[in-house]
Amino acid sequence: MQNIYLAATSFSPEVNFDFAAHRLALKGECYPENAAVFFEPIMNALHNYLAQQQRSHITVDVQLAYFNSASTKAILAIFERLNAAAVAGNYVTVNWHSDPDDDTIMEFGQEVADDNGALDVHLLELA
Amino acid sequence: MHSDRAALSAVTQVAGHLLQSPPVVTPESSNYQVLELFTSQPELSNLPVVRDGAPLGIINRNHFMSMLARPFHREIFGRKPCTAFMDANPLVVDYHLPLTELSYLALSRGDKVLSDGFLITVDGGYAGVGLGVSLVQALADQQAQKHQQMMDSINYASVIQQSFLQSSRRDMAACLSDYFMAWEPRDVVGGDYYYFVKRDDGFFVAVIDCTGHGVPGAFMTLIMASALKQVLGTYDLHNPAALLSHINRQVKESLGQLSADERKPGENIEVRSDDGMDCAFCWYDNASHTLTFAGAKTPIFVLPRGADEVTVVDGNKKGVGYVSTPLDYEWDNHRVKLKPGSRLYISTDGIIDQIGGPKRICFGKKRFKEQILKHAHKPMAAQRQALLDAFHHWQGENSRRDDVSLFGMHFTEQHA
Repeated sequence: MQNIYLAATSFSPEVNFDFAAHRLALKGECYPENAAVFFEPIMNALHNYLAQQQRSHITVDVQLAYFNSASTKAILAIFERLNAAAVAGNYVTVNWHSDPDDDTIMEFGQEVADDNGALDVHLLELA
Repeated sequence: MHSDRAALSAVTQVAGHLLQSPPVVTPESSNYQVLELFTSQPELSNLPVVRDGAPLGIINRNHFMSMLARPFHREIFGRKPCTAFMDANPLVVDYHLPLTELSYLALSRGDKVLSDGFLITVDGGYAGVGLGVSLVQALADQQAQKHQQMMDSINYASVIQQSFLQSSRRDMAACLSDYFMAWEPRDVVGGDYYYFVKRDDGFFVAVIDCTGHGVPGAFMTLIMASALKQVLGTYDLHNPAALLSHINRQVKESLGQLSADERKPGENIEVRSDDGMDCAFCWYDNASHTLTFAGAKTPIFVLPRGADEVTVVDGNKKGVGYVSTPLDYEWDNHRVKLKPGSRLYISTDGIIDQIGGPKRICFGKKRFKEQILKHAHKPMAAQRQALLDAFHHWQGENSRRDDVSLFGMHFTEQHA
């Protein structure tokens, strides 16, 4: 399974999906002109990876600053897919990092936790 | 001069349009003859060398002069053929070579073409030279012209988009005495939109954030405006939640944004778009001082008369029209008593989500509420300025992330 590493740009986040280590990370801002094009290969790789997992311990680290509405949908789809994997017997931990003064990002993390009951979501404050 | 250049650039699409005809020398010409030409014509930076009508090379003034300045070079090379200091491998292009291709060819030669220029041929024969600086100028003109064409087109699109807002502006001004509506697309046109209609028993106001911004966002506002107009003409304005449901159904069906189980059996269509809107729909009933609000991922901020805290009324978490929003989804109406003296603020996420401040994080609802409270005693026009100032201050050096729309109003006795 090919790992995915994309360096951050000013309008897209750093994507570091280390499938071999079962560690996935998203970090930065997200407002590409065409969110569907940006997320499609990421989503496909994630889908292929999760389809092969059984009773795996998967850790997801998320540290976002800004994401536009189209990206929000794509990010929510990622967590829905992870939730399905957790329902299927995997153990998925999500570490959601946000600045204590950033109520927008914190609320988004809470929403992810509320909507995906099978994920073990930790809302963590950045120092 | 400038307009001449602009007019020229409209046709400057091939290498030949950069053609100049300086004096030429032959390979038999001596270096003394070249020196004579360079000395008598100070503006001459390069000299083409032509043999029997065919391009052979270019002699660069600076290179030539520095070579001849070396000890004894003038004596040794003076009578020798000028090919000694000639670049025998210059860029040679056909008259009809498009400018874009020429620029890539020029780049592939490093910085040489910029200083030495290039030779232009017609049917393989020497026709003239082109200067590096002319190439850069032509490319800059072409770029400016294309940009201008695109901006003319977008600026006109903005005229169309703003004309769609006119009736709302008119009704707002007729119905409200103390209010503001700030509408700032990020890129001239945008995906934000607002709608206001005055009725005898009250008014309807909607603040809308369609997916995207710029041109695709503006397309969506027109689709939404047409859906909204149709739904408002058919259904009851007093029930914003039901209006959202009707628009949701209409947009999902017209754009084919149906989830797998919503499509007809055997209907094998590919769902390519997933666009819609987040919005706040409000109806205000004059007689009962009651605001009925339904929100699609958009809250409203209210400051009831005498309150010392801004209340956020959240909408539902589903946007309107998206594939993931069920066809029969029902939004909730929230009723808020807003007597004269109360204030209402509705914003798209452009303000709340703008990155800025010392930590480069979102502006957020908390800071937005603080700013509302801080300036709430002022007339609404002054509040508009104060809120936008706070927002721009937060944004600082960061680029604008999204379109911004902000509606604010003060309920006065006339709404009784």
